Amino acid sequence: MIERLQTLRAFIRSGGHHKFRHTPEEFGLDRLAESFRAEAVPPVERSARMLRALLNAEMPLILEGEKIVATRTISRIPSIFTEEEWAEIRAHHTLHERGTVSNLSADYEGILRDGLGKRKAEVTARLEDPALSQEQRLFLSAAHESITAVQDFILKYRDCARNAGMDETAEVLSHIHSAGAKTLREALQLLRIVHFALWESDCYHNTLGRFDQYMYPYYRTDIAAGRLTKEQAFDLIEEFFLTCNKDSDLYVGMQQGDNGQSIVLAGRDPQGNYLFNEVSKMCLRASYELNLIDPKINLRCDALTPLDVFVEGAKLTKRGLGFPQYDNDDVVIPGLLKLGYKPEDAYNYVVAACWEFIIPGSGMEIPNIDALSFAGIVSEAVEDLGKFDNYDAFYSHIDLKIKAECDRITAAHDNLYIVPAPFLSMIMSGTIERAQDISLGGNTNNYGVHGTGLSTAADSLAVIKKYYFEEKSLSLEELMDAVHHNFKGHEALQERLRNEAPKMGLDDDGADAIGTALLDSFSTGLRGKRNERGGIWRAGTGTAMYYIFHAKDLPATPDGRSCGEVIPANFTPSMFLRQKGPVSVMRSFSKQHLEDAINGGPLTIELDESIFRSEETVEKLAMLIRSYIKRGGHQLQLNTLNKDTLLDAKVHPEEHRDLIVRVWGWSGYFVELDECYQDHIIERIKYKI
Amino acid sequence: MSEGIIFSIEEFAVNDGPGIRTTVFLKGCPLRCAWCHNPEGWNPAPETLLKKGREEMCGYRISAEELAKRLSRDTDLFRDSGGGVTFTGGEPLLQAEFLAEVMDLLPDINKAVETSAYAPEESFRKVMERADILLFDIKLIDPDMHKRYTGADNGPILRNLDILKASGRPFIARIPLIPGVNDSKENMEASADLLRDAPGLKRVELLRYNKIAGAKYPMLSLTYAPPFDETIEPAIHDTFTEKGIKMIIP
Repeated sequence: MIERLQTLRAFIRSGGHHKFRHTPEEFGLDRLAESFRAEAVPPVERSARMLRALLNAEMPLILEGEKIVATRTISRIPSIFTEEEWAEIRAHHTLHERGTVSNLSADYEGILRDGLGKRKAEVTARLEDPALSQEQRLFLSAAHESITAVQDFILKYRDCARNAGMDETAEVLSHIHSAGAKTLREALQLLRIVHFALWESDCYHNTLGRFDQYMYPYYRTDIAAGRLTKEQAFDLIEEFFLTCNKDSDLYVGMQQGDNGQSIVLAGRDPQGNYLFNEVSKMCLRASYELNLIDPKINLRCDALTPLDVFVEGAKLTKRGLGFPQYDNDDVVIPGLLKLGYKPEDAYNYVVAACWEFIIPGSGMEIPNIDALSFAGIVSEAVEDLGKFDNYDAFYSHIDLKIKAECDRITAAHDNLYIVPAPFLSMIMSGTIERAQDISLGGNTNNYGVHGTGLSTAADSLAVIKKYYFEEKSLSLEELMDAVHHNFKGHEALQERLRNEAPKMGLDDDGADAIGTALLDSFSTGLRGKRNERGGIWRAGTGTAMYYIFHAKDLPATPDGRSCGEVIPANFTPSMFLRQKGPVSVMRSFSKQHLEDAINGGPLTIELDESIFRSEETVEKLAMLIRSYIKRGGHQLQLNTLNKDTLLDAKVHPEEHRDLIVRVWGWSGYFVELDECYQDHIIERIKYKI
Repeated sequence: MSEGIIFSIEEFAVNDGPGIRTTVFLKGCPLRCAWCHNPEGWNPAPETLLKKGREEMCGYRISAEELAKRLSRDTDLFRDSGGGVTFTGGEPLLQAEFLAEVMDLLPDINKAVETSAYAPEESFRKVMERADILLFDIKLIDPDMHKRYTGADNGPILRNLDILKASGRPFIARIPLIPGVNDSKENMEASADLLRDAPGLKRVELLRYNKIAGAKYPMLSLTYAPPFDETIEPAIHDTFTEKGIKMIIP
């Protein structure tokens, strides 16, 4: 890392720029919603006016040594609605999380190419249409105003740069005020501004999509023209990555660090080319050098991806940031095609905040709208076990319960309300033609549902199948008494269930097939259903934070898990699986029909950092990762950890400010996590490789 | 078909040879090295360990056929990565008959055997001929010191080393670095002199002393009492490099 960026990195990590932050109250911005209400301003116009007011209040701040500018100085984005208005909305609508647009991937490629001016011209032209409704006009006017507000913000920074004698920066800002980017630096600066403005619009989990693909043309042109050396290009990319860490403490998701700033590298195109370019490689290197939580990197790969690429990925895995996450095109693309996505969309997939597969610039998907608790359903069904005299009949009962839960979930999200996002709408395709805000729908409007506790459920059913129905070595009375009394008085049974019973993760075909059946019940339970926006429902293997929620009230389970014990996150073996070998785990967790449960959610494996003492391990790990991809695993997340460091970090957080861990689908600073998430990670590492 | 006794199968063993490997631990060892960190490998029979107050069996019988089948499961992965299977222990040569049978049943993948070579010549030859590479442990060259720290005479080991050298077959020499026991310049020089003319020697690996070596002793109701100071960092000499032998400290 060059000295300029080292200094900048240190400054940002120390929070040196935080002293320039102001609260919205200092500018009276917190009272805007009240005046909107008094004036009866329509919501979409409020969004535009709020963005304008915030950007006006932003103080241009250029940090020492920066070439790519824009830093947040407003500490919080106020809502466009008053509390009373929110209560009214809640009374008549369902809301998704915070109620604003989240988890989308904008069409960065298009906006960098066309520039803000062209979008504005398109909006102006569209407004000429006499057939537009009042509502459509309102939207287009708000979109126009949003772009102008962002443009004025650019000019404010341009003037600031000019006054500071930073002529190059000023010139870059002048160019991108209206025009599309011509150089790599302009592209990175425009991306920074656009991304900044999305956060300022109160949209969250703003992902960054296929960064290497949309940046590569600018890189190639600059190199060919001799405008930049490769090292200079690398420094700019690295600086952009660094900017993603400037304001991220203000981008709160469920936990600090859960901010959705994901990028996706490489991937197979419809012609069969594997798109790993020099920018892709630079991204991996920049992330390695920076050693920071953002952006969170995904690497698209498949069975034919060269080993070198896996080696580049494994080097970063060794770093212990919890990424890259590996996404398998061989499974994801056919899976998306089966769901009805157009080929050009399926091949262009990216990853949302964590692992959900979404389509950049096109989809208004809500891939995390709810979660189904496999473990909860099985736990409930166990109460009815006495009514069945064979396993197949009992499983049919489970299947019905899963489908009933799918019915409940798909009926529970009607009448959704989402706060308008006119600026984001300008970076999504189809919105100008429709003259409709993205919050009301995109080209696709599919919903995704997570599935938690899959291995806990499968392992529990494996116990029932083997010991109760087949061997008859476990009586109904003993099992019921054990789970009802949290294994009190049944300690020997619990030990046996935990340590000897078949489990997913041991390459036991019986247990793995139960996992397959459960996932199939889930995906068929959602298949063919439509949501109110005309989209479909997608089943997935992720858990988000539901692995904490769903474990809370879960009684003791037949797999030997005590009441109150955690369940694993994502698509992962039981927490107390012994003799776990990564090869067996990967075999167990690639047998399912993952194409049919392609909402996203990775197999997660913790690695002890000591395995990397030998330099040869990186290549071996690359081969292991490739083997999971070749076997048809859909997604893989690896977490390199040291248990002693984690334990020490709990006691002496001040000494471990920079310790980074993967939580459920994102990386964050360990010491900033709530204790339940810290403890879950420590529990996971107990059964590491 | 013979049966053997093993006590662990470890997947993705990264320090036991080339490529992706599965390592099999065969139970039973004739040596009692003072620094041994796998005391559960000593007794040739299955036995009970006490783990956190809970009894757990260590070691189980398995037929050569069954073990070969279990290991062959990952043939594609081994071939893809140039890896294979490593047999260690305990001392695998203590079950040479069984081991040879398993190796014969395995497909064409890389087979490595880690051994102290404290075994009859016949056993040594039988396994050596079937292995693609041997990981040959050398502890102490001085016979008295060897007897003192491992409980056994190093005569058979050195004779087997001669057999290996004469065969020209590839091997890696592994030397554990035990502070104050074998990290002297004399011992390293004597080792280097023995290895210098070995045509099959790939490299020498100096293995760091495992500071949690004593962890498993209480599980066997044993006390770990090393007759050397564990806290001292072992001396590392450039002897091998000076004598033109490739040396690494993994």
